[in-house]
Amino acid sequence: MKMNDIDLEKYKSAWKEEKSFNKETLTDSEIKNYLLKRSKGLTDSFKAGLILDNILKIILGASFVVLIFLFPGKFDILVLCVIAILLLFYLLWLNITTYRKIPRQEEYSGDMQNFLKSRIEFYRTKYLKTVYVIALSNPFVFLGGMLYYFYFKYGMIRPLQVEDIIVFSIFCIAGFALGAFIQVRQFNYQVNQLEECLKELQENGIDELAIRRHKKQKRTIMIIFMIALLTGLLLLGVLFTL
Amino acid sequence: MLFMSEGAQLEKEFLDQVKSHQNIIHKICFIYSKNRSDKEDLYQEIVLQLWKSYPTFGKRSAFSTWMYRVALNTAISTTKKFWFSTGTELPDIAFEDESKMDLSEDIRVLYRAISKLAKTEKAVILLWLESRSYEEIAETTGISVKNVSVKLVRIKARLSEIIRKMQ
Repeated sequence: MKMNDIDLEKYKSAWKEEKSFNKETLTDSEIKNYLLKRSKGLTDSFKAGLILDNILKIILGASFVVLIFLFPGKFDILVLCVIAILLLFYLLWLNITTYRKIPRQEEYSGDMQNFLKSRIEFYRTKYLKTVYVIALSNPFVFLGGMLYYFYFKYGMIRPLQVEDIIVFSIFCIAGFALGAFIQVRQFNYQVNQLEECLKELQENGIDELAIRRHKKQKRTIMIIFMIALLTGLLLLGVLFTL
Repeated sequence: MLFMSEGAQLEKEFLDQVKSHQNIIHKICFIYSKNRSDKEDLYQEIVLQLWKSYPTFGKRSAFSTWMYRVALNTAISTTKKFWFSTGTELPDIAFEDESKMDLSEDIRVLYRAISKLAKTEKAVILLWLESRSYEEIAETTGISVKNVSVKLVRIKARLSEIIRKMQ
């Protein structure tokens, strides 16, 4: 053990005397250029994703308003569009509340353990829910696109068969599931890395109870979103077959 | 100078601080990067996070202590990899440009050994190499002073073992 210490002291001295660390110096303008660039961090990418999704949801909401006027006197379309608009605004509101809860910059100035804990907590709760909220835009894009297609192609909503409803439902679910799958896999990868860091750092190991609680929370969020999606599709099917 | 706005003055103050402490960022990027492109990306990310966090720098601690905290938190939470990437995190000769850098042999050996440590172990050993006190390491990492000493013994033993295997 003593031998190990002596070896490392030699490297420590070499580290202190290393000149190359001081050789690379950046000028004011080079540092200023860095300040103008966009952060590639997960939080900033998440913020950008939320803003883009909010814009998409507003456009989708507006397109459903237009659809009400394109199909005047069609009660089923009116009901469908009003439900879609209300749902989109609810999802938009969820996005806005999440945006407000994004961890603040002060956390970076805090100690490593607290920084990791707060990031993990945020990703496990708010971030995961938002992944599903963002993925829910896909079925609305498909639904809106389908209605516009019918309008421009036939000038009316073509009567749908049960098979058509099944195919459209599969497209809606696939759009949601695919969007969510990619995001959730990346999310798991990132969170596992942070948890790994916290585990290395903590004196008594990571709180197993907290992990179990988070896993249960994750399952619950996914089940709620799947139920909401299936209910929506069922409603859609009932409206079109009436 | 008399008519400099508050924002411009803050930016100037920040640039001066970063310039005079930029060797800290270089060292952290050196430890946490595998190649020049990674290093540049991490450097940019650290400078950005420092700038965004600068209003929270209360001057209660030294700028360098605050800088270590922000820079290390950025380094450990930054990952460029995606879930579908495969392969090992660190290659045997980790820093592809190390041959182009004017590094002493001891630093090359040390770098290769440190590249085999976990992210938080890298942070602890870096602070030790920088001769930071146990109290400062504890303050930066959020673990107790006692645990810092336990961890340092373990990390140093592991580092020695890696170096011995490399020789």
